[in-house]
Amino acid sequence: MTEMTTESTVYVIYIATVPEKVWAALTSSAFTTQYFFGRSVESDWKQGSPWILRKPDGSVDVSGEVRQSDPPRKLVVSWNIDWAETKLPECIVTYDIEPAGENLVRLTVTEAHPTPIPANLLEGGRKGWPMILSGLKSLLETGKPLNIPVPEPPKEN
Amino acid sequence: MATSTFLYTIYIRTTPEKLWDALTKPEFTRAYWVDCWHDSTWEQGASWKLMIPDGRVADSGEIVEIDKPRKLVVKWQNEFQPEMHAEGYSLCTYELEEAGDMTKLTIRHEIEVAKSKLIEAVSGGWPVILSSLKSLLETGDALEATKHWPKDK
Repeated sequence: MTEMTTESTVYVIYIATVPEKVWAALTSSAFTTQYFFGRSVESDWKQGSPWILRKPDGSVDVSGEVRQSDPPRKLVVSWNIDWAETKLPECIVTYDIEPAGENLVRLTVTEAHPTPIPANLLEGGRKGWPMILSGLKSLLETGKPLNIPVPEPPKEN
Repeated sequence: MATSTFLYTIYIRTTPEKLWDALTKPEFTRAYWVDCWHDSTWEQGASWKLMIPDGRVADSGEIVEIDKPRKLVVKWQNEFQPEMHAEGYSLCTYELEEAGDMTKLTIRHEIEVAKSKLIEAVSGGWPVILSSLKSLLETGDALEATKHWPKDK
């Protein structure tokens, strides 16, 4: 039996851009396909609306609901993994987009687990978010995404 | 023993050699690390200081392990904030791993103190310094916010 946890994963990155561009990069497939392991996003991004993260092969990777939407400052979504063998409790992902100076944004991503999950499953987010957000920063600052390979999902045991 | 840890990973489009230079050489660090620079001969056992542009010492310690351009471990004590100085030595480990046309940089900064003030402070500092380092290496320009030592400190 693995250890259970409700620990959050928090990642902070500073990007030389404006909040509107970070919001667009988080919510539009034209951007996400370039930095989010090729995945597209679907939603009208209104509070209470569904949202989907879709793999390049068209299958659904993550689905959930928009819990809070305050463009261009804050987006909160529930996050349900749709391919796991055993149903995992949903997690809540919050994107805080704060101005931190002229043409500078502090983006804070918090992956919270209100329901306990096996601790080893945190590895997915802990490895994934730095790749995704490093790529997002490169894309917005240089116009060119990073060549980041798709990582293997964490094993459940 | 209770430990406080800061762990951060960032991917930078550069080589481990260029990243190593950017992490250790004054002409680079002054551009993105609020004008600070390291004073060290970068040999195992050598002394190490992080210098503030006005001549004060921000932190000091010694090089515990050095394997250019892959790994650097520094014993690190704050020198200008009494509360943090009193916590004693922390250990800061830099790991650089080649990943295609990028380098994966992982910083682990820890101290055997529960709820450490030093780790709380560096947890706020490292993300902006490392974000600025990534901007410098990928765009040729660091983030404006990290180019100068703050006027009120």
